[in-house]
Amino acid sequence: MAAWVDEVLLAGGDNDGCLNFGGQLSRGDLRREVAQRQSALEDLGIKPGGTVALRLPPSLAYVANLLAAWRIGAQVSLLDHRLTDHEVGQALERLKPQAVVRFEGKLPGGLRAFYDVTDIPSAHPGESAATDHCVVQLSSGSTGPSKVIARTADSLIEEIERYKLIEGVPLPGERVVLLASVVHVLGLVGGLLYCLNAGTELTLPTRLTVDAILQAVAGGEAPATLLGVPFHIELLASTERPPRLPQLKRMTTGGELVRAQVYERFTDRYGVPLGNMYGMTEVGVIATDLFGQHRPSLRPAPGLTVRSDDGELLIGMPRSPYIGLVDPGRWADGWLRTKDAGTVDPGTGLLTVHGRLDSQVSVGGLKVDLTEVEHALAALPGVEAAVVVFDNGIEAYAVASAGVDELEAALGERLAPYKRPRAIHLVEQLPRTATGKLVRAQSVLRSSK
Amino acid sequence: MERAEVVELLATYGDRTPDQVRERIDSLELAWLLHQVEQRHAVALDLDDDSLMRMTTVDGAVAVLSEVLSRA
Repeated sequence: MAAWVDEVLLAGGDNDGCLNFGGQLSRGDLRREVAQRQSALEDLGIKPGGTVALRLPPSLAYVANLLAAWRIGAQVSLLDHRLTDHEVGQALERLKPQAVVRFEGKLPGGLRAFYDVTDIPSAHPGESAATDHCVVQLSSGSTGPSKVIARTADSLIEEIERYKLIEGVPLPGERVVLLASVVHVLGLVGGLLYCLNAGTELTLPTRLTVDAILQAVAGGEAPATLLGVPFHIELLASTERPPRLPQLKRMTTGGELVRAQVYERFTDRYGVPLGNMYGMTEVGVIATDLFGQHRPSLRPAPGLTVRSDDGELLIGMPRSPYIGLVDPGRWADGWLRTKDAGTVDPGTGLLTVHGRLDSQVSVGGLKVDLTEVEHALAALPGVEAAVVVFDNGIEAYAVASAGVDELEAALGERLAPYKRPRAIHLVEQLPRTATGKLVRAQSVLRSSK
Repeated sequence: MERAEVVELLATYGDRTPDQVRERIDSLELAWLLHQVEQRHAVALDLDDDSLMRMTTVDGAVAVLSEVLSRA
């Protein structure tokens, strides 16, 4: 059994509050929920070194199964609940878990931040874990199969400890109102695991609307930090006269910077600091600016070494975070290549991120590789060629004998909603350069319509 | 509620022009649209799951918002 779960995440008095997913849950309640899932997984034969995949939306069931599997000492793969059956099928073939936990029925729509679901664990023909990692996630793949990104318990604990050394993080007895997904690294480690460890209550609003978010902040007396992605800043900053929220202490987001006027509008209207964090699934939090003092730069998190090599940011990491991938373009000799363009100031040590060096984009905080979308579209019957670009959203241009409705329906079976193009434009031919390379400039593509 | 108004409000997200607004509305745009409608019309839209599920296209949003605002 893995003792770290009890020591690092589940310690504390029975009556201490820890989660608020539509109602307060104490540590004792959570321990009971975890114990129940643990026996269900053990009944399926999951042992230390076993493998479990979770296909659950943000929910108490997700948290309880995750902690239960870790408590057994199993390796957990996290599958976003928005993935299609096709994507999940591919993931399960690749990951070979011995058990899969799914949810019963269909999820209600409507901007939910969490769901009340019944979880159904079932055995799956799989294999024991080949490595000592406790959590495994698939990236949106640029070419061919997606990367398998893995973290050990030590890596997660180190990240929690890194957070605790950063000035401005939520304190014990305070609250975090989480707007980002609890299945992805910011919400998972910066939200859920940090809160469980620090004794900070984790609240999810009932819906991701402005009213519900502000109600979640107003719903408790303890100081609250909003943790989300840049979209949430834009949304909240568009409120002309927000209510007075003395509990609101700060908002922190991960991801790209918002425009200066949005930053100013938010800090002016809410009167609290707007912090920014930079991180990635492979590492967790890398650098922060929680007081907005260094904008657009960030201070590397304590204990991390960051350097710039030929304009690309590299993070010191003793072992590769990828399972079954030997690609010196991603990790070599103790350095992880972030694929983010950036610089590190030799005088101050502050780093500045300038954007992606590959085709990855962020859609509401979720990473999408445009090449994956392009490959999926180009592989459909009736499609001769396709180019996918990002222009205020994912846009596709295709030469195809099939109609747009037909292509959208076929893509709907293969790609999760957030990866799908907002529009597919059919064109006679795709513009190419003199040397025959596809042109990706939006202005040229638009005029080819 | 007119279609042009829905498109205009959607365009304010990400500083787009109305012709950059697509027929399909994703969850981020939906949260944005609801809030802009609430502010402009000074109403609190407490929509249920079924109504929100119908608002995945501009046409669907126009239909739901027209029903709700005519009742307000």
